[in-house]
Amino acid sequence: MPREAEPSLSEKQFVLQALQENLRLDGREFDQYRPLELTFGDQYGVADVTLGKTRVLAKASAEVTVPYADRPLDGIFTIATELSPMTAPSFEVNRPTETEVLLSRLLEKTIRRSGALDTESLCLVAGQKCWSVRVDVHVLSHGGNLIDAACLAVVASLRHFRKPDTSIEGGVLTVYTPAEREPVPLSWLHSPFCVTWSFFGEEGEIAVLDATWLEEQVRVASCTISLNRHGEICQIAKLGGTPVEAVALLQCTSVALTKAKEFSALVDRKLAEDLKRRDKGGLMAELKAENDR
Amino acid sequence: MTTTTGRPFVLPGETVDPSLVPTHKKHPLRLGPGLRHIPPSDIIPTVAGQLVTNPVKNSIWVEYNSQRYIPQPGDLVIAQIVRSTQDAYLASLSPYTASATLPQLSFEGATKKTRPMLSPGSLVYARVSLANKHMDPELECVSSATGKSDGLGPLTATAGTGTGTVFDVSLGFARRLLMARSREEGRVAVLEMLGGEEGGGLAFETAVGRNGKVWVGSESVKTVIIVGRALQETDRGGLGIEEQRRLVKRLIREMR
Repeated sequence: MPREAEPSLSEKQFVLQALQENLRLDGREFDQYRPLELTFGDQYGVADVTLGKTRVLAKASAEVTVPYADRPLDGIFTIATELSPMTAPSFEVNRPTETEVLLSRLLEKTIRRSGALDTESLCLVAGQKCWSVRVDVHVLSHGGNLIDAACLAVVASLRHFRKPDTSIEGGVLTVYTPAEREPVPLSWLHSPFCVTWSFFGEEGEIAVLDATWLEEQVRVASCTISLNRHGEICQIAKLGGTPVEAVALLQCTSVALTKAKEFSALVDRKLAEDLKRRDKGGLMAELKAENDR
Repeated sequence: MTTTTGRPFVLPGETVDPSLVPTHKKHPLRLGPGLRHIPPSDIIPTVAGQLVTNPVKNSIWVEYNSQRYIPQPGDLVIAQIVRSTQDAYLASLSPYTASATLPQLSFEGATKKTRPMLSPGSLVYARVSLANKHMDPELECVSSATGKSDGLGPLTATAGTGTGTVFDVSLGFARRLLMARSREEGRVAVLEMLGGEEGGGLAFETAVGRNGKVWVGSESVKTVIIVGRALQETDRGGLGIEEQRRLVKRLIREMR
């Protein structure tokens, strides 16, 4: 496995020197994100997030399985994160690096453990049949701040996803194809978003949002705050690194709330646009022979 | 098919029109990168790009933008020291590739006792002296003919007070920057503009490595950032001369 490419000494020094002078290499403000783009695929549940040079693709899928024996009334919801060598040559298949483990843990805590998806609604026949919803996260390009981009992609893909409609008649479960019945959206309770702060300087006095890959390699600590637009915090992860003042962290949280509101508005807007694009509407829709049932 | 510069565009495997191949009384025809001679008399491109000819030197090559840097003898590169061995430094020209060797005595005026001490991670501006297939490339920071450094050597900021960093650009853009007449041939004038009246006469120095790296040094951090961003945005957007002028003006205004 090739080792991760280290930045040179002058790059490391320069990033810090610039931050001391309130400057960033790409000319952003400290609390500014890189241009964020969200696109949906033709299929339901495919979301592609581009954040500067970082690109993450999330794909949601669902299948009917047997629920876990200890949770007969719950469906199954999993998030699979994979960093392939395509992301960077230092990542290897089947050998998770620290980045990958942290990414999947944080996504798990943010989206699954916060109850964003109502797993009870995935149950079809208690103890026998349930939906298993799975989101695959593919990191296509690593330009720093994977966590925020991946979290946004997963949330967007799940909100875009439609699972096939089902019915139970006389103990017989029928799963309808999209042609027979319009697929139904998941029962989604709230949309949590991750906002990652990076800290620089000897005492972590400089706090920066959305660090690039170079900045991530130089930072002394990082803190990921997950919250939804109502300001409900799902988790705060500050794993090691230099200690940071509690007051500074409080300030970070309040900025994170405004960012979470922005993300939420972006996802809502893009979903509405996508719905409009899919909705052919007009005379042709009314003249169609088949109806929506 | 021709591009905006009037140079024909070729695709791999195409036959090159014989009328485009230069002829010369004395010099033999020289094929540059991206072209291959298929005996007896066919010349075919192996990459997609612009076909460029030099009638004076009787040479022909394809100008293209590739991802991986392949060292060629005589190239000026910016290398990052990885570690030091007994008599040579190991330096990396691009990430995740085999490292190049830089003998500790190939610096200007270096002897066994007075050789520069370079720590891992420091940058040097060097020339590729040896590059063969299946072999690690070799670098030098001194001209073997004259014993002078010719501007090569460790990249440090001016006189200790300044600062500097390295920016990644595409290989094609680095080649354009290194052209003798970069404004006319390479259509890059962004550095001239930054130092000229559009940029308000910024003071900075640059070193361009063919491995897609540009080192920018200056007294002020702000100037380095402006120059670096101007270079990267020109590269990414494929900007023309007039767009570069607008970009420089915008960057200067933003950073004020």
